[in-house]
Amino acid sequence: MNIRALIQKIKSSFNHHEEIPNEAVLGFLRVLESVREEDAPCDEIYARIDEYVEREVDKKDAAQLMPLIREHLDMCSECCEEYQALLDVLEKTSQDEK
Amino acid sequence: MGVLDALEHEQLESHSRSPGFKSLCAHNNEPLGSLFVLTFLSYIVTRRYNSTNMLTRSNEAWVSDLGTSGPAREAALEDLRAIVQKGLPYALSRWLSPDQPQFNSLVEEVTQETLLRVLDQLSTFEGRSQFTTWVHKIAVRIALTELRRKRWRDSSLDELTENEELPPPPGLLADPQAGPETSAERADMLARVRRIIEEELTDRQRQALILLGVQDMPMEDAARRLKTNRNALYKLLHDARLRLKRRLSMEDITPNEVLTLFEQK
Repeated sequence: MNIRALIQKIKSSFNHHEEIPNEAVLGFLRVLESVREEDAPCDEIYARIDEYVEREVDKKDAAQLMPLIREHLDMCSECCEEYQALLDVLEKTSQDEK
Repeated sequence: MGVLDALEHEQLESHSRSPGFKSLCAHNNEPLGSLFVLTFLSYIVTRRYNSTNMLTRSNEAWVSDLGTSGPAREAALEDLRAIVQKGLPYALSRWLSPDQPQFNSLVEEVTQETLLRVLDQLSTFEGRSQFTTWVHKIAVRIALTELRRKRWRDSSLDELTENEELPPPPGLLADPQAGPETSAERADMLARVRRIIEEELTDRQRQALILLGVQDMPMEDAARRLKTNRNALYKLLHDARLRLKRRLSMEDITPNEVLTLFEQK
């Protein structure tokens, strides 16, 4: 055990933590496979998501053109929900207009 | 002649046949008659401009109309209100049905808030997308933030009342279909992962994980609870995931290996 781990262990013996349920541990592990070193913050994704969704509606390969956005959407459930809702709006309103 | 043209032509005809108009002309009161015609024509031009502009306004026209004061801004706001209200039911379709009682008030509140935010953030529009897509994006963020908050509040209340009546759920280790050997392996693996989490995550990362992964709190609320913002909270979690991934790899454990163990019987 290295020194950092030892310090952490001593610290944790003083701080009685709320135990993380097994389901949450597994949920955390589920996203680890797709974690990349580089990831854009939510604000940057929000700033470009309208452009990304328009490209997708226009059948341009948005994920290939803007891969960082796709990767973030795979990791961040709230950004992904907003992306999905915006996609629904653009696809369905453009169908209405046809 | 289009439908709009025909309607306007008919209105002009009917006004020119009206007794008021005829009497104005009959009394040779030409300046007043001309004024009447000019006012009516100006009404038609404005109406026609607004109807066609709603669909055809360029990004520049939206920004310029909303950035001024007076009738152009009022007309642009009215058009934008209609556009937002048309889009919102689609945005909410995975969350709320239009038959639900709170639907109309939510749409109204979100529309109001969206228009205010659009005016407030007009200078930040960079023209990377259609102006209306940018506006829909703002409406989606406002609507989903409100719905997440409500969903979380309701589920927390439900949990509180359910916990009084029901025993806690059995948990993963109590899977009756798993044999004793699998159960022992699972318990061992979970203990290892738990120890790694304990050693690797800072208190703050751990708190974030509990708020988001256990309590299912929306990010905006969790960020407020931790006195930070959504961006920094995401970064906190991202760093936690990276640390954990590196440490698991150092211990020759892959996340998939753990997950597979819990899928087998």
